[in-house]
Amino acid sequence: MIFQIANALLLGGYYALIAVGLAFMMQVMRVINLAHGTLAILAAYAIWLLADRLDVVPFGGALLVLPPMALLGWYLQRFLLERSARGGELLPILSTFGLSIVLDNLMFQQFGADTRSLSPFIGDLAWASYELPGGIFLGKVPVWILLAAILVIGALQAMLARTALGRRIRATALDPVTAEIVGIDARKTAAAAAALATVTVGLSGLALGLRGTFDAYSGAPQLLFAFEAAIIGGTRSLWGTLAGAMILAFAQTIGAMIHPQGFLLGGHLAFLAVLFARLFALDEALRAPFRRPSQDERTNA
Amino acid sequence: MTLLRIENLDIRYGQFRAVRDLSLEIGQGEVVALIGANGAGKTTLLRTLAGAHRAEAGTVHFKGENLTGLRAHERLARGLALVPEGRRLFAEMTVTENLLLGATSGRPGDWTVERVFQTFPNLVKRRHARASGLSGGEQQATAIGRALMANPDFLILDEVSLGLSPLVIDQVYRSLDGILASGTTILLVEQDLSRAMRTASRALCMLEGRIVLDRPMAATNRDEITQAYFGLTRSQRGHA
Repeated sequence: MIFQIANALLLGGYYALIAVGLAFMMQVMRVINLAHGTLAILAAYAIWLLADRLDVVPFGGALLVLPPMALLGWYLQRFLLERSARGGELLPILSTFGLSIVLDNLMFQQFGADTRSLSPFIGDLAWASYELPGGIFLGKVPVWILLAAILVIGALQAMLARTALGRRIRATALDPVTAEIVGIDARKTAAAAAALATVTVGLSGLALGLRGTFDAYSGAPQLLFAFEAAIIGGTRSLWGTLAGAMILAFAQTIGAMIHPQGFLLGGHLAFLAVLFARLFALDEALRAPFRRPSQDERTNA
Repeated sequence: MTLLRIENLDIRYGQFRAVRDLSLEIGQGEVVALIGANGAGKTTLLRTLAGAHRAEAGTVHFKGENLTGLRAHERLARGLALVPEGRRLFAEMTVTENLLLGATSGRPGDWTVERVFQTFPNLVKRRHARASGLSGGEQQATAIGRALMANPDFLILDEVSLGLSPLVIDQVYRSLDGILASGTTILLVEQDLSRAMRTASRALCMLEGRIVLDRPMAATNRDEITQAYFGLTRSQRGHA
């Protein structure tokens, strides 16, 4: 029992790490990036390539891959999300969906159907663990992933709350037109936010590769887990996303305890339960941040 | 010295031609009141000057530089600031955060958060309050303070007294006195004609997207402005 709780906690840490970038884009920039999981796989492949061909340790490889990921996020915002957002709120969702299909298949063409993992490149660390009193063993890598998730969320929250960039990002999210009037370059600010979110995507690619295996089509399930965690967590704060990730992991664990096939089902049921509670309880406090000022509130003849 | 020069500006608002072939010059240090009925095109003109709305045709020069095609934050960086109608504060952020955002452009000058609090003492107690919880007067003071934080050379005030009680309007204008006296060029929209006549040195009346009266305040009177406002006697139209 304690073993299962500990594992659910660690799994929740991984979900939090993959969900934080998606939640950040959803909460702050009001964009749902359906290529989120695919980008994580892209980063995982890049780290794997560096390790396999050039013997770069995955942790060092991640350091090399994160700056290009930031750049990728920047241009993704400037050339895809920003442009498609002009066509309405649905268009960015569709275009990131299209992007994910293209990237998935490009990766499949390039890397084939073999599953890959980063764990062969980290030696003993792959199975090293911490022993807790009571004979509980926690894998070192999953513990680090949990700590990384907490660290990333804490850093992003502090950035949003305390720095000039964070203020600009929040202002742009609340009202891009007024943000411009106040002197903020709304496009650059949105691109910076997307770059930050994509850096966390790169980190989650590393985490996925270290924890287990991936192939070209692993993006979709990662997106699903990230999305469920982000929605369960609500739109108030990224700490909510951490809570959402934990709820998802515990629901899956409980599902698996009830029935061997119940792992995914447990998570989906928890997700749907929270979603319907939100929809029907009309919880204004939770839904308010998703509301945008209406067109005539924003502009006035 | 001409600070702002507008030439043949046409602005559409959807199908509606809000501003038609408008030309206008505003000199350094002038305080200009823009007067006109609802729908005359005042707010559309001001938002276009600030870069929040795109003009259909015509040019706007500021300090001799063509602003056409520049985005709002680029115009602010050149010293043209707008206090938008309805204040447009970032509701979920605090007063201090709203003010700090105003300094994003990094223009040099002596406006600081503390100086805004000296100018609008009613904000001091509210500095950590969310903008959404402020009274109308406090919100307006924050909106003006936020624009001042950019150290503008040209300040556009769009209906700063809208929705405020007369007492609070007095307060806001008293606080503005210092700014008016400092030589900042100001273009303001004010529905209260007496106040507009007292505050500004020049009257601009707009009707159906055109300027129908442009006179120094001293050379005009309430009747003339009222007539221009309603457009009853088109023969009396004065052109600059």
